[in-house]
Amino acid sequence: MESSSTIARKTWELENNILTVKPPADSSSDNIFHYDGAAHAKVLKEKPWATDPNYFKRVQISALALLKMVVHARSGGTIEIMGLMQGKTDGDTIIVMDAFALPVEGTETRVNAQADAYEYMVEYSQTNKLAGRLENVVGWYHSHPGYGCWLSGIDVSTQMLNQQYQEPFLAVVIDPTRTVSAGKVEIGAFRTYPEGHKISDDHVSEYQTIPLNKIEDFGVHCKQYYSLDITYFKSSLDSHLLDLLWNKYWVNTLSSSPLLGNGDYVAGQISDLAEKLDQAESQLVQSWFGGKKASLHKKKKDELPLAKITRDSAKITIEQVHGLMSQVIKDILFNSPRQSDKTPSDPTDPEPMITS
Amino acid sequence: MAPSSSSGLTFKLHPLVMLNISDHFTRVKTQLNPPSSSCAAGNTPAATFPQNFRVYGCVIGAQRGRTVEIFNSFELVFDPTTDSLDRAFLEKKQELYQKVFPGFYILGWYSTGSEANESDMHIHKALMDINESPVYVVLNPAINHAQKDLPVTIYESEFHVIDGIPQSIFVDASYTIETVEAERISVDHVAHLKPSDGGSAATQLAAHLTGIHSAIKMLNSRIRVLFQYLVAMQKGDIPCDNSLLRQAAGLLRSLPAAHSEKFNDNFLMEYNDKLLMSYLAMITNCTSNMNEVVDKVKTAYAKKSRTGGSRIPFM
Repeated sequence: MESSSTIARKTWELENNILTVKPPADSSSDNIFHYDGAAHAKVLKEKPWATDPNYFKRVQISALALLKMVVHARSGGTIEIMGLMQGKTDGDTIIVMDAFALPVEGTETRVNAQADAYEYMVEYSQTNKLAGRLENVVGWYHSHPGYGCWLSGIDVSTQMLNQQYQEPFLAVVIDPTRTVSAGKVEIGAFRTYPEGHKISDDHVSEYQTIPLNKIEDFGVHCKQYYSLDITYFKSSLDSHLLDLLWNKYWVNTLSSSPLLGNGDYVAGQISDLAEKLDQAESQLVQSWFGGKKASLHKKKKDELPLAKITRDSAKITIEQVHGLMSQVIKDILFNSPRQSDKTPSDPTDPEPMITS
Repeated sequence: MAPSSSSGLTFKLHPLVMLNISDHFTRVKTQLNPPSSSCAAGNTPAATFPQNFRVYGCVIGAQRGRTVEIFNSFELVFDPTTDSLDRAFLEKKQELYQKVFPGFYILGWYSTGSEANESDMHIHKALMDINESPVYVVLNPAINHAQKDLPVTIYESEFHVIDGIPQSIFVDASYTIETVEAERISVDHVAHLKPSDGGSAATQLAAHLTGIHSAIKMLNSRIRVLFQYLVAMQKGDIPCDNSLLRQAAGLLRSLPAAHSEKFNDNFLMEYNDKLLMSYLAMITNCTSNMNEVVDKVKTAYAKKSRTGGSRIPFM
């Protein structure tokens, strides 16, 4: 029953060059849950991140924290939500053990919200320490429903402030709408550079689809922060529970239909794409009339807006086609006439070809 | 041992609650049993470690009609002297959670262990002033790989007359796992470690189809079990269970699941929409490629002698 998922996991591990470290004993794989107050205080005094702005490179998020953040983000619908994360550091890795939501509305500006939520945070941290959760706040998370995982201008200034006074601090952004639409978790972890730090030009960040009305905000600030790699971990009991959970979960996997839930999001994406096409077309017309010489000097690195649009459209379409495939499979499974009555209907409708 | 509940309430449990409880337990366990500094030696003094401690907490959620949905949970402090839960702490936590999740209220409490004890009844009764019929969720933290069922049991309390004395005892309640789409995706993500970043289209496709494939495999194995059971009944190995036969017959009768005209129309319409989208994406792709080709041709064959050029450029 597990063989297909182990095959998938092995494929993924191979592709991503995962080195599996065999834990010496069963309990030590849960070591990550142990909180060592003395070691943590020592690291806080040393502050190795003060000298190197690129110090933290990786993030490890616990299964519980991820689940809480995604559920909270989705419950907000189209309103941004925010919350805090608790955890610790380990060398150049920030470990997020838990997350909790903050009672703030998405419409307030971020700086104010932090001041308001401090009382909540202090009370929550105190009660948590009594109940046995000893970690400190190690970052904040918020959601960008529908428009991707990146830091906006306000986010960048908030995070820069945080990194000055509350180190070590991490910013995480989750997009719940894209998560549901794509079927995989859209999450990004970022740290900002201090004021005036020049990012090296050949550092290329992963491309993302950004809607037209946000693309300016993204472009202005995208060089002021860098993203960290995210991996996940879970305890042995968690893995055991999740394995057993699959026995009940497979029904939900089969019955999920990502197409139905996200109709207006997809429509929004398509209209955004149409606007971008208009813009690209007018740009092209201008460059034609503005003289042929202009195009000769185009830098090799800049991508034509048309190529970007192509990538965006391919991404949307692939998601839709995935959803369609699920629907067709379900149709074949549950709707085909019975074998004894008539010959089965031809199930091999030509599936659309997908090229990257 | 515990008879089934007769209250008629249906319980729905979210996976988040289970992960919460498991995380609480793991944390306390590792704090009580700190890892030895040299992990190479696997001889942690397991004998001195108290294996039978329990953690306690509260579950919150909402009840709509006869359905009780348990959404979330948080930890509580247990007072071993009075053998009850710290009340002030509970109220403070409840206030905090009320601010963030205004729709939820306390539905009951949880603890780890293998089954409900008599002493738990005290705690249960103490909670009755917050919720007149609290639920008690028990998670068994022992990892038993032979076990196929979730080690979570939900108990309710009921008044039963035992030996002439009306007492409240714990009764088993059945529950289902309820989830929202986002929860399912993140649980799937963590459980099976799907590729998190873009990857190529091929890996995305593979991941998506693998998920569906595993689900269908489960369906297949369950149907097989049912089939073998029915065959055995037909042969006479197992006494005929009429209610089961009725259920199976009802299941078969409900196939094909949706075959009305309207469904077909909707389905085909959606299908055509998606095909249209991929067609448009292909056209965009071709246009962009053609644009690049034209640019390159222009660059390759640019004639510097032509002046100005009020000619309309070829588009």
